[in-house]
Amino acid sequence: MGQIKAGAIEKGMFILEKNTPYLVTEREFVNPGKGSSFVRLKLKDQRSGAALKITHKSQDNIDEIDVEEQNCQYLYTDGENYVFMNNETYDQFEVPSTGLEDEKWFLIEGDSYRVVRWEEETLGVKIPPKMDMEVTEAEEGVKGDTVQGASKYVKVGTGLTVKVPIFIKQGEIIRINTDTKEYQERINK
Amino acid sequence: MYKGFFNTKGYLEVETPLLSSTLIPESNLSIFETEHTHPFKSNKKAYLVPSPEVWLKRFLSKNPINIFEISKCFRNSEQSGRQHNPEFTMVEFYSMDFTHLDTLNLTKELLNYINSNYPDSKLPNKHLEMSMDEAFIKFAGFSLENNISKEQLKIRATELGIFTEESDDWESTFNRIFIDIVEPNLPKDVNLFLTNFPSNIQTLAKQIQDTPWAQRWELYINGIECGNCYTEESNPKLIKNYFLNEGEVKHSVDMDYYKIFETFPECSGGAIGIDRLIMGILGIEEIQGVILFPHHDNI
Repeated sequence: MGQIKAGAIEKGMFILEKNTPYLVTEREFVNPGKGSSFVRLKLKDQRSGAALKITHKSQDNIDEIDVEEQNCQYLYTDGENYVFMNNETYDQFEVPSTGLEDEKWFLIEGDSYRVVRWEEETLGVKIPPKMDMEVTEAEEGVKGDTVQGASKYVKVGTGLTVKVPIFIKQGEIIRINTDTKEYQERINK
Repeated sequence: MYKGFFNTKGYLEVETPLLSSTLIPESNLSIFETEHTHPFKSNKKAYLVPSPEVWLKRFLSKNPINIFEISKCFRNSEQSGRQHNPEFTMVEFYSMDFTHLDTLNLTKELLNYINSNYPDSKLPNKHLEMSMDEAFIKFAGFSLENNISKEQLKIRATELGIFTEESDDWESTFNRIFIDIVEPNLPKDVNLFLTNFPSNIQTLAKQIQDTPWAQRWELYINGIECGNCYTEESNPKLIKNYFLNEGEVKHSVDMDYYKIFETFPECSGGAIGIDRLIMGILGIEEIQGVILFPHHDNI
């Protein structure tokens, strides 16, 4: 734990506010007319997933959290928790699903992820910007149906529903932008 | 476009230096400092102006006429963001025998002029005036008239869940509440004139007699502050006090500056950030979109 000035906060940092660890998702500087400078922050509570907007004077002292990134394998979920294993120590730990609302769609059993840990607590699971996933459910595309721009909805293994071109079939691998959850391209095996 | 407006109104365009050996003390502004070197004497400090005000007021004390200047302004330590560039362009204009409210009407005319001369302008056509107190009542849930002490402001901030520091003065506490809860909620679909700033914020604006307010407004376009205006204080004694009371500054100050106000006209000065105004005209949200070579922190 180190103290930094609020003006030095960067997007992607983890800070402590009101004894809660937060991920900084947005940062904007504001100088009220010839007044002292402020930073507007958007934070994400990694425990509950809740967003928080907060303002600080650039000179305020802030607790920055020294997080550790570990390479971990995702094992399984019991619905409440997601269970991971540290690939170096083989220690297993649980992550409550509340903090993984966006990430859960990209957790594939057996795959490894960079997991952000702080004092035995998981603050985040880093999802690669693009992931290749198998289509597990796909309706047959209706020929000539171009009203929807010749697209349809399919499901991938994690249960995520994705809008895809009409030619995508069950069993095929598609590349997904994990940030927008949008289809990018078909991957030829 | 702005030149055309001020020319039709008969304002004289002036050009003043970007460098000055002394500046007005404004403790919250961070200044770019340089040196004027001399081959045989010691070097002299020089500063890039944070606004042309220091020169324009010298000019007005000798030439009481309506003037405007389009000038580069420099503010150090302003970290690059969506609304900030350490070097920016400003139009500053002074109108004789005007109050801040006359300048408000002139600024409305300027915005209307832009909209009528530039059909693609995305500036709102509607103008709205709201006092700072109205804004606080509406968005922070309390009136500044009745919460004027620092301690009371701090209690209000805490009630609103806003972080404060022990060392905060009145202005800091006010700004924390304003930036956190008031400014983000200001109407964005109008050109908003936020009027009557608290007198507790020290500026060179005249006070509204027997009230806790100053004759000052700021202009907000799309929620971004892009203009500031005063009825200019012209009392040399009060100016001298301002210079004595303004917090610590790192640059040189001319403590005799108040003397220019012995022959200073009754007037109102306004300043509009041109980069931010263009952002409003074009409907662009980032200042980098209107500057050819925007500054990056790692220049």
